[in-house]
Amino acid sequence: MSLRPVIVGGGSAGMAAAIELAGAGVASVLVDEASRLGGVVYRGPLRAGVDLGYLGARYSKALKQLHTDFAACAEHVDVRLGSRVVGGDAQRLMVLDEHEQLQPLDYSHLLLAAGCHERNVPFPGWTLPGVMLLGGLQLQIKSNVVKPLGGTLIAGTGPLLPLVACQLHAAGAKVVGVYEACAFSRIARQSLALMNKPQLFLDGLSMLGYMKLHGIDMHYGWGVVSAQGEAELSGVSVAPYDAHWQADMSRVQRQPAQTLAVGYGFIPRTQLSQQLGLAHGFSDDGYLRADCNVWQQSSLAHIHLAGDMGGIRGGEAAMLTGRIAAVSMLQRRGVLDAEQAIERRERYLGRLAAITRFRSGVERYTARGPAQIELAQPDTVICRCEQVRREAIDVALAQGVEDMASLKMRTRVSMGDCQGRMCVGYCSDRLRAATGRADVGWLRPRFPLEPIPFSAFQHLGTEA
Amino acid sequence: MNKTYDIVIAGAGVIGASCAYQLSKRGNLRIALIDDKRPGNATRASAGGLWAIGESVGLGCGVIFFRMLSSQAKRQAHGAAVAVDSSTPHILPECFFDLALQSNALYPQLHEELIARHGMDFKFERTGLKYVIQDDEDQLYAEHIVRHIPHLQAQIRWLDRQALRQAEPAITEQAHGALEFLCDHQLSPFRLCDAYMEAARQNGVDLYPNTCVSQVLHHGGRIKGVRTEQAGDFHCDTLINAAGAWAAELSEWATGTRLPVNPVKGQIVLTERMPRLLDGCITTSDCYLAQKDNGEILIGSTTEEKGFDVTTTVPEITSLVQGAIRCMPQLAGVNLKRTWAGLRPGSPDELPILGPVDEMPGYFNACGHFRTGMLTSAITGVLLDKVIHNERTPLDLAPFLASRFERVAVPA
Ligand SMILES: Cc1cc2nc3c(=O)[nH]c(=O)nc-3n(C[C@H](O)[C@@H](O)[C@H](O)COP(=O)(O)OP(=O)(O)OC[C@H]3O[C@@H](n4cnc5c(N)ncnc54)[C@H](O)[C@@H]3O)c2cc1C
Ligand SMILES: Cc1cc2nc3c(=O)[nH]c(=O)nc-3n(C[C@H](O)[C@H](O)[C@H](O)COP(=O)(O)OP(=O)(O)OC[C@H]3O[C@@H](n4cnc5c(N)ncnc54)[C@H](O)[C@@H]3O)c2cc1C
Repeated sequence: MSLRPVIVGGGSAGMAAAIELAGAGVASVLVDEASRLGGVVYRGPLRAGVDLGYLGARYSKALKQLHTDFAACAEHVDVRLGSRVVGGDAQRLMVLDEHEQLQPLDYSHLLLAAGCHERNVPFPGWTLPGVMLLGGLQLQIKSNVVKPLGGTLIAGTGPLLPLVACQLHAAGAKVVGVYEACAFSRIARQSLALMNKPQLFLDGLSMLGYMKLHGIDMHYGWGVVSAQGEAELSGVSVAPYDAHWQADMSRVQRQPAQTLAVGYGFIPRTQLSQQLGLAHGFSDDGYLRADCNVWQQSSLAHIHLAGDMGGIRGGEAAMLTGRIAAVSMLQRRGVLDAEQAIERRERYLGRLAAITRFRSGVERYTARGPAQIELAQPDTVICRCEQVRREAIDVALAQGVEDMASLKMRTRVSMGDCQGRMCVGYCSDRLRAATGRADVGWLRPRFPLEPIPFSAFQHLGTEA
Repeated sequence: MNKTYDIVIAGAGVIGASCAYQLSKRGNLRIALIDDKRPGNATRASAGGLWAIGESVGLGCGVIFFRMLSSQAKRQAHGAAVAVDSSTPHILPECFFDLALQSNALYPQLHEELIARHGMDFKFERTGLKYVIQDDEDQLYAEHIVRHIPHLQAQIRWLDRQALRQAEPAITEQAHGALEFLCDHQLSPFRLCDAYMEAARQNGVDLYPNTCVSQVLHHGGRIKGVRTEQAGDFHCDTLINAAGAWAAELSEWATGTRLPVNPVKGQIVLTERMPRLLDGCITTSDCYLAQKDNGEILIGSTTEEKGFDVTTTVPEITSLVQGAIRCMPQLAGVNLKRTWAGLRPGSPDELPILGPVDEMPGYFNACGHFRTGMLTSAITGVLLDKVIHNERTPLDLAPFLASRFERVAVPA
């Protein structure tokens, strides 16, 4: 086994895996496109000397812990920052390095821990400047780059809403209201499951207390309907959502706001796992997800998945799944025997169990309402890259288009730079509703996963 | 689940779709167009060049192919690999020129017709095709081409260094000049296929997407129908094999004989959207470049015999990228957005395989279009419509019949 294990993604999952491997004396290569390790939750401030006190003591402690543990094994990890994996196959990755050159990276064991992206929900005005994704906004506060000007309205679902509201407020921004799509009674029904993580539950309660104290209103069972503005956002229309997230258009209210943060959930990244040819299935919400087993192992025995890519359960779970994947690799490399590996795995699984129960509670109340896709109007842009509007999709469906690939050819949706990351969800929902079939195909990601300069190839040879 | 049609078309790439469209215009036929959306479908992968002369003389999509053939030939002869064999430009037979030029002439009218009657625009653009001459060998090659096609002089123009700079300022200053084929144009390949298909649907053709023909049914020594995995049996008297690179399999089920159609892989590179940089389509001895209707520049393409594999591979992509930068230096500062691969339905003599076969009444070929199926789709639809109805065809089908292969002993 000459090659070191390669880890794609230096977030919670990838870092924890590298730590576990190093602990067993196994050196690894860790590739991340960002300029700092830590991933979406633990990347920390971009500049030194920034006080992140406004993010809370528990967060600061966890952040410090992860980076300290990692620093302790740094000599065992070949960290390659500013390096983006843009393609590959079952033996080799293609990496765009920090000098924007394409480099092959061969592997014998690979861990994919590239995280998730946020779900895009098209509604009238969603492409206006000032409308952002909630996690993206949170990343900005966490890295202390910018702070939204004017009032911010938060609409979405899940525990990230009150968290970001408090973080925004503590950072000095104005929050004009938080609109949780789910009715309070449905959240209350999950309180037993949520008590599996009492600290998180209490954190949640204390955040609600903080919001109350500072006059930030939490509206349960309300959601976004549209955003208004000329060159930029000036107001947001919200309305009550029923259990299917059907907006009650007779009760629309308009709120002035300069920033709208939209957070209707996360989707595991699949571009890389598809490109490498791993088996995928569909999760309950209709999204594609790479298959993985209790060892975090994909359909190819030498490729593992950890963190959000194997299912979204938050930062702590991401670390545990990263460790389990590392244990499995250690066993495959003969560093641990089966008994040792199972013993360790069970330890991590035990800690994962409570989180999983907590997350299932969250998932039940944040489950996406199918009626929300009706927010898009005929002239609402669905594919931002190619500026394809809903009406073009309506026409294609009426003409009998039944699958993703045909919809792409007929309308150009997903032919842009992002390869459909933003619109595939909407398109797949519409196709499934129109055909009544569960599987309408998915987009096959193509090399390169993101645009790369032609000059990146100039040093490469043309002989295989 | 039994369905009854007059005609079943297996395969809805550009060829099957064109046949469906032409046949649907008769208005009195029940037609089913069945397609299995296999990865590698050539139509979705295509460049959309209508390079009637360019392809007939071995440029465009043919460049890398002929370079490969001639270097193979030379390697065998001299034991060393050499670049283009300029002494023997690869020129297709007369009957192919006729097919290509007649088909090409149909597009302006077809474009108007599909927009006016069916609201479908396949983005036909008059571009011309310039063979950019970058060294002495290219120059020899161009001169040979011109000598071989005296009857097409009216469609040819020489551009000297200065004329080329004026016409195509983005092309390298190193270029000596160009040979332009005035009647060679372009369109959007997937829009062409969609336009035929949607027009056919509007004319009453039933579409069966994501449906795979898995068997051919016979009765009394003729075609009686097909069996599909998803939609049961289809009864019909007439079956058209438009199965692209997969046509051999279908012909075997239908006639007991495998057609010599084999997949020939082609990889393509696409840039991000750019302002208008190219006035027309460009072909060099490394690759071709075509700026499409939305500003992206498409760079093609490799010619590889890799079975049904459709992965993209870095060495091949690199050679396209480097060839493109050589001809258009500013590409070095541009982003590459996408690569993909498709499977051309190759035939041994590079001619399509069209029309009936003696031993199986009711069965018709519309396959083997290799690297020019976009270009020749228009005439293929017309020919199939005519031959199925026993009407006079606008050109002689004899060179394109499958029976031509029986004269040559094809090893099994
Ligand atoms: C914006 C955002 C905010 C979130 N906030 C919270 C929160 O506050 N609390 C919480 O519990 N959960 C949060 N989540 C959920 C979060 O994703 C956790 O589930 C968990 O931290 C995921 O860890 P991970 O290691 O799987 O992924 P990440 O932490 O996302 O790490 C993935 C890493 O992979 C890198 N990467 C991705 N693609 C490539 C590539 N092609 N080449 C090279 N590198 C690549 C990324 O740069 C990133 O650093 C948030 C998610 C998002 C998207
Ligand atoms: C990279 C590349 C560039 C090209 N550039 C050009 C160009 O510039 N100009 C030009 O004129 N030509 C070009 N070509 C060639 C052109 O694309 C092809 O000749 C043409 O698309 C062939 O069309 P087709 O309908 O025969 O095959 P396809 O488009 O492959 O369609 C065949 C269809 O049949 C279906 N099928 C197969 N078997 C079955 C079955 N048993 N049941 C149901 N369905 C079945 C398949 O799923 C497929 O969808 C290019 C090709 C490639 C690969």
